[in-house]
Amino acid sequence: MMHQGPMITNQGRELVGRAAFLTGCVALLGLVGAADMALAQESVAAQAPTAYRDLPIIGSRNLVWIIAQLHLLLAGFVLGVPIFAWLCEIVGWKSGDKRYDKLAKEFTKLLTSSYATTALFGGILLFLLIGFYPKLMAYLTDIFFPSFLVYCALFLVETATLYLYWYGWDAMSEGNGKKFHIFLGLLLNVFAFFIMIVPNSWATFQASPVVLAEGTDFERAWAATWNPTWWPVNIHRLIANVVLGGYICGAYAGIRYLSAKSQEERYHYDWMGYVGNFIGVFGLLPLPFAGYWLMREIYQYNQQMGITLMGGFLSWLFILQAMLIGVLFLGSNYYFWLGITHRIPGSEAQYRKPIMAMLIILLLCLAVWMTPHSLVASLAEAQQMGGTHHPLLGVFGVMSAKMTVSNLMVLVTFMSFIMYWRAGKQDTAGWAKVAKAVMGAVLALAGIAVIILGVWGYFVPAIIRINYFSTSQVGIVIFVMLTITPLTALLLKSAKTTTEMVWGKMPPRAGYALVLNAIMVILLMTLMGYARSSSRVHWHVYGVMRDSSQYAFSPALGYAAALMALNTFLFCMLVAFIFWVATMGDKAKAAAGAKGSVEPGTIPAMAGGSQALDGPAPDTAQQNRPV
Amino acid sequence: MSEVVKLQLIGLCVVGFGTIILLFIKSQFLRVIGFVSIVLGLFALVALAVPQMASLPPAEESINIADIKTPTDMATIGQKIFFSKGQCALCHSIGPSESARCPDLKGIGAKLSREFLYESLTEPQAYLYLDFRHEGIPKEYPARMPYINKNPIGLSKNEILSVIAFLQQMSGEPISVNPSELDLPRATPAPVKAADAGSLAIAQAR
Repeated sequence: MMHQGPMITNQGRELVGRAAFLTGCVALLGLVGAADMALAQESVAAQAPTAYRDLPIIGSRNLVWIIAQLHLLLAGFVLGVPIFAWLCEIVGWKSGDKRYDKLAKEFTKLLTSSYATTALFGGILLFLLIGFYPKLMAYLTDIFFPSFLVYCALFLVETATLYLYWYGWDAMSEGNGKKFHIFLGLLLNVFAFFIMIVPNSWATFQASPVVLAEGTDFERAWAATWNPTWWPVNIHRLIANVVLGGYICGAYAGIRYLSAKSQEERYHYDWMGYVGNFIGVFGLLPLPFAGYWLMREIYQYNQQMGITLMGGFLSWLFILQAMLIGVLFLGSNYYFWLGITHRIPGSEAQYRKPIMAMLIILLLCLAVWMTPHSLVASLAEAQQMGGTHHPLLGVFGVMSAKMTVSNLMVLVTFMSFIMYWRAGKQDTAGWAKVAKAVMGAVLALAGIAVIILGVWGYFVPAIIRINYFSTSQVGIVIFVMLTITPLTALLLKSAKTTTEMVWGKMPPRAGYALVLNAIMVILLMTLMGYARSSSRVHWHVYGVMRDSSQYAFSPALGYAAALMALNTFLFCMLVAFIFWVATMGDKAKAAAGAKGSVEPGTIPAMAGGSQALDGPAPDTAQQNRPV
Repeated sequence: MSEVVKLQLIGLCVVGFGTIILLFIKSQFLRVIGFVSIVLGLFALVALAVPQMASLPPAEESINIADIKTPTDMATIGQKIFFSKGQCALCHSIGPSESARCPDLKGIGAKLSREFLYESLTEPQAYLYLDFRHEGIPKEYPARMPYINKNPIGLSKNEILSVIAFLQQMSGEPISVNPSELDLPRATPAPVKAADAGSLAIAQAR
């Protein structure tokens, strides 16, 4: 690219030269042409290259902020939904439960319209960036041009695969065709993953640039791509997209459940909400670990950037983050608990005490997580406290305490999930008692070890705490998950179902809990996007290219939060519109079906409206089958 | 009325709007919109309740050669370039560091001559480390150091000399670079008249 720049300039000059020659010929015929050319040349000579452009009233940065945020959220949705749909398709194929296949198809249908909307916002964003930040875009293009081409190629193959995946659903629904279809789903996700990580390299290069030595265009782009925060962001976003896909599915199911007219609809959307929440929680549990890795890499790359984030002007942002994550954990657990008490008759009394204990632990953990490191106090208050740290609460404001409670919250949520999984079943295996004792011991020891490491963390240097103690805490929690999940699965294989799960009996607040979870995830994405962008402070490319525009400052949290709320609302409206458009035909089909030959009790027509999939209604036994 | 107060009022209105919807509207979809409005409004209000700190950029500094009188002035400018445009601190540290990817530059001004420093910056591949620990042609280890005087960093001669001055000063060495070595900016060319520009354009076209 470095060499291509002059080449393009030369070609440009040649073209300009030819044009000027032709104009010169015309000028021989009349003086007007020559005069025009001279004036044009003068204006070119007088103009300096434009670094920034602005827009009145709204401002260039706000507009880019809104469009970029909507594009990123839509992209997260478009990349998260294929993972969600593919997992559901596999479960449906393996278990023979057609509901999963229908669910997968319903969400794949959304992809076609949401994919176009995402691309539309991507296009708008590109035009705005080129228009508002020409100097920065020229710099990034100079470095990343080869990856732009790769990105375009990936889009082509992703689009072709998506068309095959969606339009081939019915044609490839049986036998080897189904296997091939699942393979297409895998390809779709692989391409989607690469579509995500290529632009991630551009954004992460801005935050953690590396020095580019001499080399070919490709070598320089490759070196810039492999910057220190690229992979942590890739992994973090991949998991976050699964979470977003799951919770948006849950929110959609929640809204449809709230407005359901028949028992069949309630049954179906209750079950869909369960699946969405399950996948959301499944992704949520490892997400803090990925976030921790990202933060660690940021600190290792540039301590100042880490301090700006955690201890500088963005430190209060992490209190807000704690609040949102806390509400998300509470909302997810609450939904599990509602499921236990309403879907499994008779279990309310049995699980009341453990639920109460878990709620108290979660609230205590949340309180610790939300304790600020230093308080805003007047001089008199500070003197009374003996500093800006509260003598008692100040202990909870440091990372050691926050790492401990976040791990405990993950453990509690995991146990909620296990409890829900085991509810209404009785173990029959001979080794069940031993297994349960082992699981109890693992959980108790893990909880104690996490707390001990957290307390010990106060008495060791930060580097030891970060490198060894915090990573050990994460390792312990992962160990618990990897031990208890397979043990529970083995136990439940031979377990006897004592109480069948009843779908469609959840109270309306369950639907609102699902909507709340989705809003929390979206807000978290907008909040952390602001954090990532603001951590660069007044640099377009950290330490390399300074932002010298009037918007070089990072706005305060309140102003930013107002924009985040607006973006979240706009995104929700966009998604609602996409859902509405995608299901418009199904509603008409359902209405026609109701007048025609469809048997009473049939599940409302789902996306795609396939005869094969929208078959006869599930009987009562299927409605009540355990999942 | 300050911006924060205005935003707080908007937040309160949004929460109120959501509450009214929940209280008086039956449509489930609209009720969900009301619920979402309350959540988003509360979020904004909480964010507005915490200390409001904006990050303001430091003033941009430009090098004016006329202001450089002593080698120490050059070292001061060199330090700024080292940590900003020069991007040296992206890889190098001054003193031991776990995050540094390239050699520690503490005391480098005392170890290397000024000429060698200049060559290392502008011709990093001039001297290569060769590995003779095997038979045949020695293995070359090209330097990872970029050409500082070329794009994308593109430091000028004046800037490179300033960085060398900083490296020497930081190493406790006498600064061997003198302000008299700096290239003075060329006189700004006189604006070209329209008539002359026309002939210039035709000359370029030819």
